[in-house]
Amino acid sequence: MSVAPHTTSAAPAAKSKSRVLPLALFTAVLLGIPLVVKDSFFIHSCIVVLFFAYMATSWNFVCGYVGQLSIGHSMFAGAGGYATVLLFTQTGLSPWLGLPVGGLVAALLSVLVGYPTFRLKGPYFALTTIAFAEMIRIWVENTDTFLGIPLNGAAGITVPLLGQNVAAMQFNDKVPYYYIIATMLGGALLATWLLENAKLGFYLKAIRGDVDAAESLGISPSRYQLIALAISAFMTGMGGGFYAQFYRYVNAERLIGVDLSIDMALMSIIGGQGTIFGPLLGALLLAPLAEITRSHLGGSLLGLHIVVYGVILILAVLYLPKGLIDPLRRLAAKFNGRGTGR
Amino acid sequence: MDPLILSFAVVNGLLIGGIYGGVALGLSLIFGVLRVVNFAHGSLLMLALYAAYWLQIWAGIDPYYSIIVTVPLLFGIGFMIQSVIIAPLIRRESALVVEPLSALLLTAGVYLVIDNLALMAFGPNVRSATTSFALPPVMLGQIPVNMPRLIGFGAAIVVAVGLAWWLKTTRMGRAIRAVASNRDAAALSGINVPLVYAVTFGIGASILGLFGSLLATFVPITPQVGLNFGIRSFIVVVLGGIGSLPGSIVGGLVIGVFEAIASQFVPATSAAILSLGLFVLILLVRPSGLMGKA
Amino acid sequence: MTAPLLEVRNLSKTFGGLKAVSEVSFTMNKGEILALLGPNGAGKTTAFNMIAGFLQPTEGQILFEGRDITGGKPWDLCREGIARTFQLSRPFSDLTVLENLMVGGFARSSDIGLIRSRAAEIAEFLGMGRQIDIEVQHLTAFDRRKLELGRALSTRPTLLLMDEVVAGATPAEAQEMVALVRKIRDTGVSILIVEHVMKVIMALSERVIVMESGRLIADGKPHDVVAQPDVLKAYFGEQYVATRA
Repeated sequence: MSVAPHTTSAAPAAKSKSRVLPLALFTAVLLGIPLVVKDSFFIHSCIVVLFFAYMATSWNFVCGYVGQLSIGHSMFAGAGGYATVLLFTQTGLSPWLGLPVGGLVAALLSVLVGYPTFRLKGPYFALTTIAFAEMIRIWVENTDTFLGIPLNGAAGITVPLLGQNVAAMQFNDKVPYYYIIATMLGGALLATWLLENAKLGFYLKAIRGDVDAAESLGISPSRYQLIALAISAFMTGMGGGFYAQFYRYVNAERLIGVDLSIDMALMSIIGGQGTIFGPLLGALLLAPLAEITRSHLGGSLLGLHIVVYGVILILAVLYLPKGLIDPLRRLAAKFNGRGTGR
Repeated sequence: MDPLILSFAVVNGLLIGGIYGGVALGLSLIFGVLRVVNFAHGSLLMLALYAAYWLQIWAGIDPYYSIIVTVPLLFGIGFMIQSVIIAPLIRRESALVVEPLSALLLTAGVYLVIDNLALMAFGPNVRSATTSFALPPVMLGQIPVNMPRLIGFGAAIVVAVGLAWWLKTTRMGRAIRAVASNRDAAALSGINVPLVYAVTFGIGASILGLFGSLLATFVPITPQVGLNFGIRSFIVVVLGGIGSLPGSIVGGLVIGVFEAIASQFVPATSAAILSLGLFVLILLVRPSGLMGKA
Repeated sequence: MTAPLLEVRNLSKTFGGLKAVSEVSFTMNKGEILALLGPNGAGKTTAFNMIAGFLQPTEGQILFEGRDITGGKPWDLCREGIARTFQLSRPFSDLTVLENLMVGGFARSSDIGLIRSRAAEIAEFLGMGRQIDIEVQHLTAFDRRKLELGRALSTRPTLLLMDEVVAGATPAEAQEMVALVRKIRDTGVSILIVEHVMKVIMALSERVIVMESGRLIADGKPHDVVAQPDVLKAYFGEQYVATRA
């Protein structure tokens, strides 16, 4: 909703025109990086940044638009990641199919969790999502086999190394992973763009604005929140599957733990939740910070990037509650000479 | 199940549960008055534990004496968190009402900063303080009762009763209760609401100062220890009824005994899952908690 | 004989032993502006909320165009053709005027272009055509009230339930609102209004029903009803009736 349309018919055209150039530029840079930079360590870092951008965008799909804070989205990443890996190791299903199937498993889990939880509001909702994710994490960490499925407890599961094997989504080079996650990110952004212009998007924003008023306009809040949550969980689950393939390893602590959930929420909120590009912006700013601390500082400065996250979060909540994208959008609006005074 | 072992578990559960309740008191008080869910609650306890530990290492002060330092120290930290970090949010909202989710995000930011600064400063090593007092277990019939835990339990009861009494009888206590029941009316009748908020947050934190000293001898001190206590405090407070001081103690006792008994039959980790399940169930079925009004 | 637009039969609601609404029955015809009057605490809003689907009746039936809609959820009733406004206007404050007016359109159509142009029409109808791009949080209180009305219209209702029409409005604004409500009725929408302000009712409605202590105590033309001793007593107290008599 950045640049408001003046006349209804010209609206979509005017909106897209102001966006096409920066978007094309961004896409070109995104796709061009691996062609220009050959340093595999740098590519690795880029993949991690894109992964977080994708996860934050997936989180935003429901939480940003419906105004609820989930700190349990990692359970969907875990469901997708474990499902992808187990389907591969147990049944030999290719991860290319395993990712979407993992996404479906995550979506199913999200409906089970979301159905009772969406009745709660604000902090209660947030705490309940943590509780669900923690229950699952603790359970997986302490379960070696469940109904014959080897979950392998706290040790986690390693994907057997097959070398270069396209069917198994294993590559000697990092560049293919880069393009996979870049495509996934593009898909998630496209999904969010479609959401903004669809009934579901309007309905979610209405629920965010006022639940009773939304109900009176023909909206069943639980139904549409669940639909959005299932889509968000599907995308998050695919992200978990990608994570598993990229690292060839899943474990409960990293994939289901509360840290991943917090990262997803933080990047969206700091970047600007409830917008298409806010979470991407947040991830592009925050995730490299984590990469730099991990690779260059390490040791005694292990938690430095999270300290910085925390400080930025506090400043953002106090002074930029609509996220870092808000001043950028106002700037863009001015640039286009159509400052509408809002 | 051997009845002796079971009654030992129950006694231990009561002691630990009382301590959970005491630790949760501040969370409940702060929510009851400010409507702020303090995500950094456990982090403040962690700071208090480290304060007690370092006071012993550097100055040789016994953890039980370090209360003189930790309680005012944590009061100061709590007071500052409220007046520096949360107050601007309240000033932004015209009606003195905090948007609960924004407040949660702010305290989540505080949690991230404190926990990771502690990790950077102290490292991941597990530490523990020792006391020079001889504290042999007392025998309750055939059951040995751990003395440091009993002291913690007693402190929880004393603090809960003392706090309730203080809120009832003192000028500041009455101001806090007035703000809790209707902040706009309280502001109109001349109560300095920002000060009341900061003092309330300070008191909530200072209780953690006390427990930091009391628990330092038997709780493993790590930078992550806060989150465990924090989550457990949320469970306790939701169980007992958010904002209710007696509810906090009762909730703690229920969780303590529940986990102690459950871990006799299932692994301790499953008991933790059950506690979280209980938390979710209470929120969904009876959000006012066991002691709250329906 | 065709069924009345709305028929309420023996509607009752009990809150923990307290009977807020007690065996209320009335009918409403198509094209009518019907006012539901009553002093504070008479149970008007409770009855209103049951018809709108926001409260479950303890007993009784609600028929809309002959169909039983008792206990239907608000979103189902919206699709049936019932829309409502709220006593305190509750717009979606971070959306624009146009977006607010679009949300309800999805209940009737899935063509977003059509929904957008209909929303623009409604904005014109409200006299807010120049404000469609403004975020609602920047509107005046009265514009928000009008928007609330327009938002209800965006669901293309047959029956519009209005919880107070002129609450907090200046006399000039009240006049504009009354004119707007008439204009809506003239488009073929039937309107049920809950209202305190007598003057508004006299100007607007052909028929009023009056509630007191959860019961219906009068039903008729506005001027006849306000002359009834029961109604006067409910509104002005025992003494007022005594001195007049």
